[in-house]
Amino acid sequence: MGRSDSLIFGCGPMGQEVAEQLIGRKLPVYMYSSDLDRVAEVLAKGFDAAVLDYTDDDKLRQVGIGEWVKVIFCLFPEEAKNVFLTLSARALDPDLKIICVSESSQSGQKLFAAGASKVIDPYEISGRKVHELITRPMIVDMLEHTVFGKHLDIAEIEIPLDSCLSGNPLSILDLGGRYNVVLMGVVDVEMSDRLIFSTSGVDHKLDAGDMLVVIGPAVEITRLKGDLEEDRTDQLLGG
Amino acid sequence: MDNTHRLIQTSYKLKDSVRYRRAKKFFYDLLENPKARVRPYFDVFMILLVVTSVWVLIYDVRHDMGLFDDLFEWVAVTIFIIEYLLRFWIYNDSHKVILSHYERAEFINQPFRAWPALREVVAKKWEYMTQPLAIIDLLAIIPTYRPLRFLRIFLLFRLFKLFRYTRSISEFVKVLNEKRIELFTLFIFMAFITFTAATALFFFETDVVDGKGVGSFFESIYWALVTMSTVGYGDITPHTTEGRVVTIILIIAGLGVISFFTSIIVSAFGEKMHEIRAQRVFSEVERKHIDLIICGYGRVGQVVADQLAADQRQFVLVDPQESNVRLAKQKGYLAALGDAADSALLESLGIATQAKRLLCLTGDDVANVYITLSARQMNTEIEIISRANHRENVTKLRLAGADHTVAPYEIVGLIAAEYVGQPVAFEAIYGMLTGQNDVGIEAVRVRSGSVLDGRCMADIGFRQRKLIPFGVVREGGCPIDASSGAYEIEGRCFHFNPTPDFELQAGDLVVMFGHEYSVVHFRDCLERGTL
Repeated sequence: MGRSDSLIFGCGPMGQEVAEQLIGRKLPVYMYSSDLDRVAEVLAKGFDAAVLDYTDDDKLRQVGIGEWVKVIFCLFPEEAKNVFLTLSARALDPDLKIICVSESSQSGQKLFAAGASKVIDPYEISGRKVHELITRPMIVDMLEHTVFGKHLDIAEIEIPLDSCLSGNPLSILDLGGRYNVVLMGVVDVEMSDRLIFSTSGVDHKLDAGDMLVVIGPAVEITRLKGDLEEDRTDQLLGG
Repeated sequence: MDNTHRLIQTSYKLKDSVRYRRAKKFFYDLLENPKARVRPYFDVFMILLVVTSVWVLIYDVRHDMGLFDDLFEWVAVTIFIIEYLLRFWIYNDSHKVILSHYERAEFINQPFRAWPALREVVAKKWEYMTQPLAIIDLLAIIPTYRPLRFLRIFLLFRLFKLFRYTRSISEFVKVLNEKRIELFTLFIFMAFITFTAATALFFFETDVVDGKGVGSFFESIYWALVTMSTVGYGDITPHTTEGRVVTIILIIAGLGVISFFTSIIVSAFGEKMHEIRAQRVFSEVERKHIDLIICGYGRVGQVVADQLAADQRQFVLVDPQESNVRLAKQKGYLAALGDAADSALLESLGIATQAKRLLCLTGDDVANVYITLSARQMNTEIEIISRANHRENVTKLRLAGADHTVAPYEIVGLIAAEYVGQPVAFEAIYGMLTGQNDVGIEAVRVRSGSVLDGRCMADIGFRQRKLIPFGVVREGGCPIDASSGAYEIEGRCFHFNPTPDFELQAGDLVVMFGHEYSVVHFRDCLERGTL
C-alpha cells in the first residue's frame, strides 16, 4: 500500500467525485470503505481503494492517520459514521485536517464538536447556487465559465522571506495594473485563517508568510509567482 | 324576407362591433369569469345586498319602516333584475347561432329560414333559464310583484343566491353531490322505515280514546320522522303496547339512519378535503400570478425557499411527501402535496400559462429528468433549473430541456480538491459560493445615459469606494483583437480585469468584489448621478 497525504472515507458518489477532482489535480488519494461492494465498484472504476474497518483505531493508524496523513475526508452517507470517524481521527492526530460533509446545519455542529476542521454542506451550497441562478444568472454564468471553468484560476501565493513587499500596506499593491490578475485579499497565516479582503477597511501590512489570494489566467499567476520568488521590485512595485 | 335580411345584417354588425364585444366581455368578467379581478368585489357587494334585503324582510315583520322599506326593496330588486338579464344576455351569443345557421344554409346553397335559427336561440336561452341557479335568481325577484305578494316567503330564495357568490357553499354542494348514490340509498331506506312505522302507528293508535292518539296519517308520518331523527318532541306519544314496540324499533332504526348519514358526510369531506386544499393552492397561485414552481422540498429546496422568502419573492412548492408539505406550510410557504411528475398537477400550477421558472430539486435524478422533460413539453419558454445528483445525469437533464443544472456532489468535489491544494484560497472560494461573508461578488448594469456610460475604468474610482473591479460582461461576441483577458461566454464577452483605459458602454455589466455596503453606496451614487 502506497503512501498518500489524503484519504477518502466512503466510496459513494460523493467520494468518487472528490477523488476524481483530486486526481485531476495530480494529488494522489486513497479511498476506504467498510462496504466490500462499494470498494469493488470504485476499484473497477480505476481508483485506489481498500476495505477498512474504520471503527478500529489500530487500522486507522496503519493507514497513516497520526503519522504521515495530512487530510482525511469523511464522506459516508450516514451522519453517525462521519461523527465517529471524525472523533477517532481527531484523537489520533490533533493536527489532522478533517473535512466532512453534513446533511443539515445541526449535524454540522455535531461534526465541528467532534473535531472536524471543515464541514461542507452540499445542499446548502447547491441551494444558494440555485438562488443565485434565479436572482443573478449572469454572474453565475460568468463564474462558472471563468473561475470554476477553464479560463481563470484562483491561486494562493506566499510572500517569501525578505520580499520587497514586506512592510508595505495592502492598499498600495496594484497587482491588477501590473499583472493581469485580481487580488482578492490576503491571509495572515500567523493570525488566523480568515481572508482579509483587499477592499476591507483594515489596512493590513504585508509580511513574509502572508498568503496573497489572486484570480487570473494561469500564465499571469506563474509570472507573478516567479517575480515574487526572484523578488523583482521593479516589476512588483514599479520602481 | 326583409325581416330575415335585417336579422342577418344585425347579427353581422354585432359580430363586428368591438364595443359590443368589449361590453359583453366586461360583464362576463364581472359576473362569471372566476379569474377576473373585478369579480370578487361584485360578489361581496351582492352578498351584502342579499343579506341586507333578507334582514329588512325579517325586520319588517314586526316593525314599520315606512318609505325606506319600499325604496330599499325597489333598489335591490332592480339590481337583481339587471343581474338576471345580464346573465341571460351573456349566457351565449345569439347572433352567432343565427350566423352559423345562415352560413350553413349558404354553404349548401339553400335559402336561409329564420325560424329554425330563432328556435335554437330561444332553446339556448331556455336552457339558461332552467338552470337551478337561474331559477333561484328568478324566484328571488318574482315575489316583489304585487299580485304575487303571497309568495313573499320565496324571498328567502335570495339567501340561496349566495351560492353564486361564495365558493365554500358551492364546494359543500359539490361534496354532497358526489355522495348522491349513498344519500339516495339512505333516503330510500329512511322513506321505507318512516312509511312502515307511520302505517303501524296509525293502525295501532287511531282507536285510542280521549283524543290522545294519532289523528291522521299525516300526523303519524310527522311522528315517525320526529322519532327517527331522535328529535322526539313528545307532542304525539304512543299509548298502546303495540305502539310502543313500534317506537322502540323505530328508535333503533333511527340511530342507524343518523349514524349512516353522519358517516357519509364525514367521509365525503375527508376524501374531498385534500382536493379542496389543493384547489385553494392552485387558485392562490393563479390569483397572485406566482411564476416560480419548486419541485421537491428536501434539503436543497429548503435552502432555496428560505432565501427566496428572504427576498420576498413568491413561489409555490410541490412535494409528494406529506411531512415536507407540512413543514413548508408551517413556515408559511404555499405548498401543494403531490408528485410533480404528474403533468396535470403542473398544469394546475400554471406551467403552461404564467410560470416562468421551474426548479427540479428532488433527490431523485429520474424524477428530475422526468419533470424537466414534461415541463419542457408543456412550455418551451420556461426556464428550468434542475438538480443533478450524479455527474452522468447532467447531460441527460440538458437533453431533457434543463437550462441550468446544479450538482451538489460535484460542488463538494470541487471545493474539497481546492482545500487540499490551496487551503487559503479555499476560504475565498467557499465564501464566494456560500455567500457567508459580507464581501461578495456583485454586478452593476451600465444604463444608457448614466454617469458610467462612456467612462473609463480608471475614472470611476473603484479603489476609493473599496471595490475591486473583477471584469465587464458585454453583449455580443469578443472582438478578434481583444486582449488576453477576454473570454467568450454564451454569446457575451467577458473582459477580465479590464485595463484603466477600458471604456464602458451602455448595456455593459460591471462585475466587482466588495462589501455589501460599498456596493449599495456605489449604486446609490449612480442613481444620483454623482461619481
